Amino acid sequence: MSHDLVIEPLGTRIVIKEGQTILDAALRNGVWLPHVCGHGLCSNCKVEVIEGEVDHGASSPFALMDFEREAGKALACCATALSDVVIEADVDVDPDARCLPVRDFTGTVSALRDLTHDIKGVWIEVEGGAMDFQPGQYINLTLPGVDGPRAYSLAQAPADGRVELHIRRVPGGQASSHVHERLRVGDRLTFTGPYGQFFVRKSQAKPLLFIAGGSGLSSPKSMVQDLLAGGCTQPIWLFHGVRTAADAYCGDLFRELSAAHANFAYVPAVSDPEAGDWDGERGFIHEVVERRFDGKFAGLSAYLCGPPPMIEACIQTLMRGRLFERDIFTERFLSKADAQKAKSPLFRKL
Amino acid sequence: MNAINSGASKKRLPLKEKYRHLTRGLHWDTTYQPMNKVFPHAAYEGIKIHDWDKWEDPFRLTMDAYWKFQAEKERKLYAVLDTFAQNNGQTNFTDARYVNTMKLFLTGVSPLEYMAHRGFGHAGRQMAGVGPRVACQMQSLDELRHVQTQIHTMSHLNKYFSGFHEFPHLHSRMWYLSVPKSFFDDAVTAGPFEFMTAIGFSFEYVLTNLLFVPFMSGAAYNGDMATMTFGFSAQSDEARHMTLGLEVIKFMLEQDEQNVPIVQKWIDKWFWRGHRMLGLVAMMMDYMLPKRIMSWKEAWSMYFTEAGGALFADLARYGIRLPKYAEVATAEADHISHQNWAIFYQYTHAAGFHTWLPSDEEMDWLSAKYPDTFDKYYRPRFDLWREMEKEGKRFYNMGLPQLCSTCQIPMGYTEPGDPTSIAFRSSKYNGDTYHFCSDGCKDIFDNEPEKFSQAWLPVHQIFQGNCGGATMEDVLKWYKLDGDNMDYAQSLDKKMWDEWQAGKNRVSG
Repeated sequence: MSHDLVIEPLGTRIVIKEGQTILDAALRNGVWLPHVCGHGLCSNCKVEVIEGEVDHGASSPFALMDFEREAGKALACCATALSDVVIEADVDVDPDARCLPVRDFTGTVSALRDLTHDIKGVWIEVEGGAMDFQPGQYINLTLPGVDGPRAYSLAQAPADGRVELHIRRVPGGQASSHVHERLRVGDRLTFTGPYGQFFVRKSQAKPLLFIAGGSGLSSPKSMVQDLLAGGCTQPIWLFHGVRTAADAYCGDLFRELSAAHANFAYVPAVSDPEAGDWDGERGFIHEVVERRFDGKFAGLSAYLCGPPPMIEACIQTLMRGRLFERDIFTERFLSKADAQKAKSPLFRKL
Repeated sequence: MNAINSGASKKRLPLKEKYRHLTRGLHWDTTYQPMNKVFPHAAYEGIKIHDWDKWEDPFRLTMDAYWKFQAEKERKLYAVLDTFAQNNGQTNFTDARYVNTMKLFLTGVSPLEYMAHRGFGHAGRQMAGVGPRVACQMQSLDELRHVQTQIHTMSHLNKYFSGFHEFPHLHSRMWYLSVPKSFFDDAVTAGPFEFMTAIGFSFEYVLTNLLFVPFMSGAAYNGDMATMTFGFSAQSDEARHMTLGLEVIKFMLEQDEQNVPIVQKWIDKWFWRGHRMLGLVAMMMDYMLPKRIMSWKEAWSMYFTEAGGALFADLARYGIRLPKYAEVATAEADHISHQNWAIFYQYTHAAGFHTWLPSDEEMDWLSAKYPDTFDKYYRPRFDLWREMEKEGKRFYNMGLPQLCSTCQIPMGYTEPGDPTSIAFRSSKYNGDTYHFCSDGCKDIFDNEPEKFSQAWLPVHQIFQGNCGGATMEDVLKWYKLDGDNMDYAQSLDKKMWDEWQAGKNRVSG
C-alpha cells in the first residue's frame, strides 16, 4: 500500500508507493535529493528518518553503520517506507524552487513551423488545461516508434497555454527525424514533466545574463518572456549564438521586447566567418559576451543553455571574469559520451 | 501522486544551517587586540580573503557524531588486530620480504601523520575564519588517530621482525627518512594557506591515491589483514580530507584573482615535492611487494594522468594549469622505481630495512611492465650485481652520495630523455653552491633559497661529525641499527621466516 512521505526541511508531502525507494519517490515528485551511486554504497543520499519506519533494503553496512541505523539514519536510494514517514534530507531550501510534481500529460500537435533550416517549432495543445511549470524546465516526450522518451526544454511563455518546443534535427537521431519528417498537426503525443532545476533565481535580485546556443534558446526565451511579463526591473541580457544570420530565430520577438523594455538587451551573434550579410556581432558567443562585458562578470547571475562545448566555453569565460558556481545556472543534456568523460568532484553542478 | 507543501509540519533548520550555526557561533571578532594581530599568519603569504563567510563547509560533521563514527571504526579495527595477533597472522604473509614495506611505512609515513596532526592544528589556529578552523581541527584529530592506529597495528610486527623498534628515533636521523621528513617540515613551516595547499590539496587530494592505495592493496595482496584494516579505517576519513583540500583551493581562487598565481606556484612546488617523495612508493610497488598489485607506471597513469588530468581540466576554469614539470614526472615513471631500488640496494648496509635482487620471475614481470626501459637500462645492472653476489662480493657502496638540496634524495636520477646521464643542476646562494637532481628541485630552491639553504642534509651532517662519529660503525650506532640492515639473504627476518616455514612443513608433513 502507499504511504505519505514528508521531506523536511522543505515540508513537501508526497505519496510513496509500496516498494518504491525514498529517492525515487522524491525525484519523481520534483524534489531533488543528493545522490550518486543509487545502490547503497556511497552514502551520499543519507537522510534522517524523523517519524515512521523504513526498510533499509540493500544499504551496505559500510555506507550505513549499525549505530546510524539505530540513530534513525537511512540511505534514500535503498530505503522503502513501511509506514507514513517524515525524513530530513541534506537539501538547501531553494526559495525559488516551486517543487512542482511530475505528471503525465497527453496533447495534440496544433502547429508546426520551421524556425531555421534544422530547428522545428512544435506547439502542443495540452488536454485538461495548461501545464504548470517553471520557465527553464523540460519535459520527457514520447514519440511513436522511438525507443524511450527524449528531453526537450519548454519554450513557451507561461501565459501561453500551449507547450512550445524547439527541436533541432540531430543527424541520424531517431526522435528528431520523426519530428522533422513525420510529425503532423493533429498527432497526439504523451509526455511527462516538468523536470529540472534550471529556473530563474528571482530571489537573488541580481542582473541576469542569459547565454543561449542554437536551439538552446528555448529555455531562455521562456524565462525572459516570463521575467518581462512579471515586471522584472533588473537589467537582462540575452545573447544568442548561432552559425549564420538565418539561424537567429525569434529575432523579431526579442527586438520588439527590447524596444518595449529599457532593461532588456538582445544580442545575437554569428560564428561562421562566411556568414554573409550581418550587421550584428560576430564570433563565438562566449567571446562576444566577454567583449561586451570587458571580461568582468562579478555581481551578475548567469543562465546558460546550449550544446556542451558552448556551455564549457561560457563557464570558463564567466569564471575567469570572477563569476562562480553559486551564480551560474545551467541544464546540461549530456550525451552518453559526455557522461562517461572523467569528471573531478571540484564542481557540484557545473 | 500529489505533492502539497504541508503547512502543518513545523520548519526545521536544514542540516547545512544547523552546522553553520554550530561553527559560526564559535567565532567572535576580537576587541582587546586587532584581528590581524591575533591572526598574524593569515595575510603574510599574500593570499587575499575578502569574505570568510563564503567558505562552504565541505562536510557537516558535528563533534558528537564524530566521536561515534570514530569509536565504531576503532572497535572494528581493534577486533581485527586482536584476531590477527592471536592467530599469528604474520605467518601468513607471502614471505618476510613483505615486512620491509611496513618498515618503510612506519618509519617514513606514520610520523608524517603525526606531523599532519600538528600541522592542521597550527593552520587551523591561524585561519581567521571559523569554517576552515573547525574543518582543520577535525582533520587534526583524524591524523592523530591515524598515527596511533598505525603504531598499534605494527607494534605486533615489532615482536618478531627487525626494523620497527626505533621508528621515531630513525625518522629524524636516517638519511632516506630525511626525504619525507623534510617534505613535511617544509609544509608545516610554511604559512597556513601554503600548508593547506601542500598537504590538504596536493598531498591529500592529488597524490594520496598513489601513497595509500599501493600500501593498503599491497597489504591485502600479501596476507596482511591488520594493515589492510587500518587502511580501510583511515581511508574512511580520507573522503573528508579530500573535500577539505578541494574547498580550500576553490576558496582561495574565488576570493581574489591575485591569489591565482600564488596558488599556481604552490601547486607547482608541492606537486614536484610530492612526486619526488613518492619515488619511495614507486620502488615499494615494483620491487618490495612479493605479490605485486600493479606497476608504478600503471598507478601513475591511472591516478595522476587520468584522475589528475580531469581535476586540472576543471581547475583550468580558474586559470590554473597542470603543475609545472608534470610531463617530466610522467616520463620518469618509466625509470624512477628502478633507479631508487638501485640506490637502496647499494646502501642497504646503512638502511633500516633489507633489500634484495629481483628473482628471474620478478625481472620478467618488470620487463613486461616496462618494455621500453627495464631490459635496456636496468636488467643488465641487476645481472651484474647477481654475478657479484655469486662470487661472494655482494655490492655495498661505501662512499657517501651527494644529496639534492631540495628533495634530499641521493643524486642518482638521470636526465629527462637520456637515461644514461646523471642529471646535475646547481645554484649559487650567498657564496655557496647548492646541488639539485632536477629542474623541479632547482626551481623550488631558487624561489626560497633562504629557507632551503638551512636544510639538514644527512650526508653533510655525517661529514660535519654530527651523526655519531667519523666511521660507518659510529653512524650506524647513532642510528641505533641492530641487525636491521644488510641484504635480506643474511637477515634475521629471513632466518626466522625459514624456521617458521620448516615448522609448518613438519606439522603438515
